[in-house]
Amino acid sequence: MNSEQSSATSEKWSVEKNTGLRFFLQTVIARAYPRIIGQQREKSWMFFDILLPMLAVSAYVFVYRAIDAPDEYVGFVVMGGAMTAFWMNVLWSMSSQLYWEKEMGNLSLYIMAPNSMMAILLGMALGGLVATTLRALAITILGGWLFKIPYEVTSFGQLFLVFMLAMVALYGMGMLFASLFLLLSREAWHLSNLAQEPVYLFSGFYFPIKSFNFWVAASASIIPLTLGLDAMRQLVFPSGAALGFLSVPLELGILSGLCVIFLTSAKLLLAHMEKLAIREGRLTESRR
Amino acid sequence: MNLAIHTQNLGRIYKIRGGKKTDPKELEALRDVNLEIGQGELFGLLGPNGAGKTTLIKILTTLLAPTSGQACITGFDVIKDPQKVRSRINMVSGGESSGYGLLTVRENLWMFSQFYGIPSKEANRRIKELLKVVGLEDRLNTKSSDLSTGLRQKMNIVRGFMTDPAVLFLDEPTLGLDVGASRDVRSFIRQWIDENHPLPDVPSGDASRGEGRGEGRTLLLTTHYMVEADELCDRVAIINEGRVLACDTPANLKRRLQQDVIFKMEVSPLNGLSADNFEGLPGVRKAIHAPKDGSAELDLILEKDDALGGVVNMMTSNDVHILNLQKREPTLEDVFVDLVGRSMEEVEAGEQ
Amino acid sequence: MNTTKRTSLNIQSLIPNRATFTRTFRVAAWLGWQIESNWTDPFLFAIYSIVKPLSGAAILVVMYSIIINGAFKSPIFPYIYLGNAFYMYVGGVMTGISWAIIDDREHYKTLKYMYVAPIHMPTYLLGRGVARFTVSSLSVLITILFGVAFLHVQIDLAAVNWGLFFVSLFIGVIMLAMMGLMLAGVTLLIAQHVWFIGDITAGALYLFSGAIFPLDVLPKYLRPVGYFMPITYWLELLRRSLVGSVAQAFPTLSRFSNTELMGILLGLTVVFAIFAAVIFFWCEHRARERGMIDMVTNY
Repeated sequence: MNSEQSSATSEKWSVEKNTGLRFFLQTVIARAYPRIIGQQREKSWMFFDILLPMLAVSAYVFVYRAIDAPDEYVGFVVMGGAMTAFWMNVLWSMSSQLYWEKEMGNLSLYIMAPNSMMAILLGMALGGLVATTLRALAITILGGWLFKIPYEVTSFGQLFLVFMLAMVALYGMGMLFASLFLLLSREAWHLSNLAQEPVYLFSGFYFPIKSFNFWVAASASIIPLTLGLDAMRQLVFPSGAALGFLSVPLELGILSGLCVIFLTSAKLLLAHMEKLAIREGRLTESRR
Repeated sequence: MNLAIHTQNLGRIYKIRGGKKTDPKELEALRDVNLEIGQGELFGLLGPNGAGKTTLIKILTTLLAPTSGQACITGFDVIKDPQKVRSRINMVSGGESSGYGLLTVRENLWMFSQFYGIPSKEANRRIKELLKVVGLEDRLNTKSSDLSTGLRQKMNIVRGFMTDPAVLFLDEPTLGLDVGASRDVRSFIRQWIDENHPLPDVPSGDASRGEGRGEGRTLLLTTHYMVEADELCDRVAIINEGRVLACDTPANLKRRLQQDVIFKMEVSPLNGLSADNFEGLPGVRKAIHAPKDGSAELDLILEKDDALGGVVNMMTSNDVHILNLQKREPTLEDVFVDLVGRSMEEVEAGEQ
Repeated sequence: MNTTKRTSLNIQSLIPNRATFTRTFRVAAWLGWQIESNWTDPFLFAIYSIVKPLSGAAILVVMYSIIINGAFKSPIFPYIYLGNAFYMYVGGVMTGISWAIIDDREHYKTLKYMYVAPIHMPTYLLGRGVARFTVSSLSVLITILFGVAFLHVQIDLAAVNWGLFFVSLFIGVIMLAMMGLMLAGVTLLIAQHVWFIGDITAGALYLFSGAIFPLDVLPKYLRPVGYFMPITYWLELLRRSLVGSVAQAFPTLSRFSNTELMGILLGLTVVFAIFAAVIFFWCEHRARERGMIDMVTNY
């Protein structure tokens, strides 16, 4: 080590630290950074996150072709397939992430630092959202081109609003799950794995949820992607409105409600988790 | 002036959940710990594995709640005011791999600096400066997954120092490091305190170490390496089974044994004799026996030189040969033996 | 000083002797089962084993029923249903084998210790896959029973060609294990992303294997991929052995007799096994060169 250097260090270190909102945003961006950069750095995701899912989506397209389904169903599948990327991201990179952070030894550093844990979770969400949007867009465009899907957007404003609300609610749910899964510890994994297919089914990734009876569809609407996807299909496909579950404005209203519910619950549960972690002293320790 | 660290009757009991075949248990990890550590002090916690050092650090860094007692950092209660405590502390643990493997050294450190509200430009400046100090400047853009254990630990150390905390906790910072890297880390720690931060009045101090006073950065170091504690710390608390057994400067601690005479002997196998046999002899205060391949080591704390005669007689009558005999100055290890009755190695072996 | 660069593979070192094989496989299977089953109580484990496969099947059932309006007696329905049911083995076996790399490397951080132990690595990975194979078997069984009980999937137990069924199943599982080994090799060289690489690859191969629609539905330029996939012939053999009439309703592979199909499956399995060995050991070699055996890549 260089002994001449060390004597000079901290005398110059009298810079004011950021506080308040500025500090909060700084934390969000810092935690989003590894998500966005780390992923771009390891190029293998392009193959595994765009090409392979695209092939899986195509399989469902050909099922519809095999049973002579109307053309708009192909569009539904491609759009659903694009949105599965977000569900995968929320399950694997949000819900089980605090558990991973614990296993890697980062969780205690996050709790011990003066930042808000909510900002850490928001950072993860933001990073995941940005990275996943890229994938979802690639699948939508690639699928649209391959299967000649006629996208006819009736209102770009509403489409953007639906997408944003669905994402805020969905990632809010992911933030809630992050604390919940951490409390359940090892089972986090398996819960993510377990929640994958049922949500594909009930959120109507491959068909309109209007096909379910009203109460099933209504119950499935607790998952923000259900109504988000339904509203987006109504806004993007000519025959979408006829196959929609509820009207778009109503779905927008419910999605707004879900945003509030999930973000508030996430904050409350996070505070509870932190308290419990400190009291019991086991949540910050790897138990592998 | 507030104390940097102040604990009163601090205790922690872990509830260990029972398994399929075992009942739930309670484990007392800390009992009645009272510490007063002044600002600017380099304070050491010395004890075997499982003594409660990490539990104490966890409580002080707001990661764990005590089950009894109170702990304050720079005057703020760790339970009532965790946010205020957190903006004043940082921690580095040995043997951990914090951060993300896909990020570079600079990126990992930058990310953590942001969690402390340091403006980006300033953070990058500090990172460069500190990396230079620890000799990692050429690894600025290396992915942290490509670093060796030693280099990763140096990165970790930079993470701890770069936020310029009022109190820094170093939990076994040289764990798993090779001799050279450990030496580097130790000299950096000592320099940090000596050159940047004048020492305060040490409560029951040792005049030979620093005479300055005033606010300074405080360092709490846990270790189970005696030399590390002796070489680095202004004061040391010896901790075993969750209790602080003694707390003073290394010199004062060793002075407890100044009246005593310490011998280290290498002998042929003891032929059925045990440490207890020697302790039964007049003038022998403590005897520690460590069998080795084909020989044995015997550490003796004697009240007077004369007592050695009895020891030698007992050996001769049991046909034990003395291979080597050294009289030496007391070390912290001897202090530990004196307080606990066993060597740190023996305590750790017993734990296992 | 010997400066010869040793890059050629020693074939003998690739094949384990019997003692090593048995020791490695047994312990790995035990470990895999501990990891797979110990996370919860048997009740939740059972729910987990039922809900996941049935939801996957239900997606196809709903898709089908929306369009066809509940005509479950049409031969295309059992074609899709059984194809999907057995396809669960594809994801299960491939994930079981390849995930062990990520799990050991990044989570338990034991991959390096496995590597320095005197075990045969491919055998170890195959052993780790046994647990998932067992769980998949349960899923397949439950899915088929559900189809028979509630969705008019008709399997006449007396008419089933049991010999053909079990032989096909056995060869198929070996073939899937070889594909899992290829993926495990690739996994040694890539970062930990968010999903099970086995599941995602299985999802992609769904398109080419005639699992849920006859290959004829695919555009002409994609069909050769399907004909090269052993999974295609494996699923056809399983369908033929369970419900012969369904297989006959689709012309894609009807020109092949059972024996010919079996021959093709066996041949392709051997080809895939050779690929698997080459790919796995090449990837392993690269991973060693680049020091990736014990990397941690989470982000």
